[in-house]
Amino acid sequence: MTFEEAQQELEAIVQRLEGGEARLDEALKLWERGEELYRFCKERLDTAEGKIEELANRAEAAKP
Amino acid sequence: MKVEAIDYGDRKVYSVGAFNRGVAAWLARLPTVWVEGEVTELRRSDRWASVFFTLKDPQDGSCLGVSMARGQFDALRLELADGARVHAYGRPELFEARGEFRLRALSLERFGLGEHLAALERLKAKLAAEGLFAAERKRPLPLLPARVGLVTGNDAAAKRDVLTAVTTRFPPANVLVAETYVQGPRAAGAVVEALRALCRAGVDVIVVARGGGSFEDLLPFSDERLVRAIADCPVPVVSAVGHEQDTPLCDLAADVRASTPSVAGRLVVPDLAQLLERLERSRAGLERGTRLSLERERGNLDGTRERLARAPRLLLERRRAKLEHSAGRLRALSPKATLERGYAIVRATDRIIRAGKAVEPGERVEVELAEGGFGARVEETR
Repeated sequence: MTFEEAQQELEAIVQRLEGGEARLDEALKLWERGEELYRFCKERLDTAEGKIEELANRAEAAKP
Repeated sequence: MKVEAIDYGDRKVYSVGAFNRGVAAWLARLPTVWVEGEVTELRRSDRWASVFFTLKDPQDGSCLGVSMARGQFDALRLELADGARVHAYGRPELFEARGEFRLRALSLERFGLGEHLAALERLKAKLAAEGLFAAERKRPLPLLPARVGLVTGNDAAAKRDVLTAVTTRFPPANVLVAETYVQGPRAAGAVVEALRALCRAGVDVIVVARGGGSFEDLLPFSDERLVRAIADCPVPVVSAVGHEQDTPLCDLAADVRASTPSVAGRLVVPDLAQLLERLERSRAGLERGTRLSLERERGNLDGTRERLARAPRLLLERRRAKLEHSAGRLRALSPKATLERGYAIVRATDRIIRAGKAVEPGERVEVELAEGGFGARVEETR
């Protein structure tokens, strides 16, 4: 699952819940899934390290 | 051609003439090719059979002596000034008398900006016809790339602009930088190789950034190999090459064209602050929505309970009403009400008399009234 997919699913769940049409058991299931998606997205943001690396094969790249 | 050597014991030695002849013969077997360069030191005399000039590589200053038959050269009427760019078609040769290597030109063409542009237009039309620049080929950029690839020269500006834009907008971004030649004859191949190397290393999107430059500086970015490599790149490519008004062909083949390296940097990563805000808003909505469902469900439950509590009394009232109704109907049907209005019921022994013929004269009957009754005897029947 990509970040984008997770974010979209999460927002769809929120919409469904806020529409107030979900029955209680469904609402609880949606909430659980939503929390899971939230944690996934948050983790993706938290684990990015901000690494700037150089690709080391300049000599290779320089060959005509 | 046989090249004679003199033997001094176990050492073979060639005369200068023999050596030159040998090398010249070997060179003569090389193919005829086109060579591009700038004309300098043009030497022409009506007394000479050939015209001489030097071709200079504008990138690295390499020089190549060229000779061309004077009659042929004059017929072309090129009127070459020092520095004019030409394409010379010929083969290498050795001027044996002086041991000088040079290009023997068979044909010569001026190759200026106009020719460059024409060649570019031809390539552009060809690639466009193949659909390389088609809008439906363009891929969307990933919202949150795990790693961004950056192809750039080692000149600081373009690289710094991209990195600054990326890290300002999204501080935790991972970037893999491939520094490479971005101008000169080796640039196109080097950029192609850098693109491939980045894909092998694993990136989700690639920025190709190069600052502004002369028309010729940017030419490698219109190189067919490079343009094709960008179109075929397995991940989306953002091109930020040159200035707004330059449109190297790589810009057309890229999935997104950015006007500057900074713009490219902002395009490939999301705004972290916005992303976090949106995520937290979703989470708040998640809680609010769940609580909403919970409360509505509780409300339903309370309503049900109230109805349940009201149910026995309701039932009793309904029964009572039904009973009243039945009593009313019962009363309406009772003969009592009829007797009250003055009617009488006549019975003979065990049956109710409904017709005159049902009794015999002299038979005893019982008459029932609203209040009490009396016994009687039948006088006559009709």
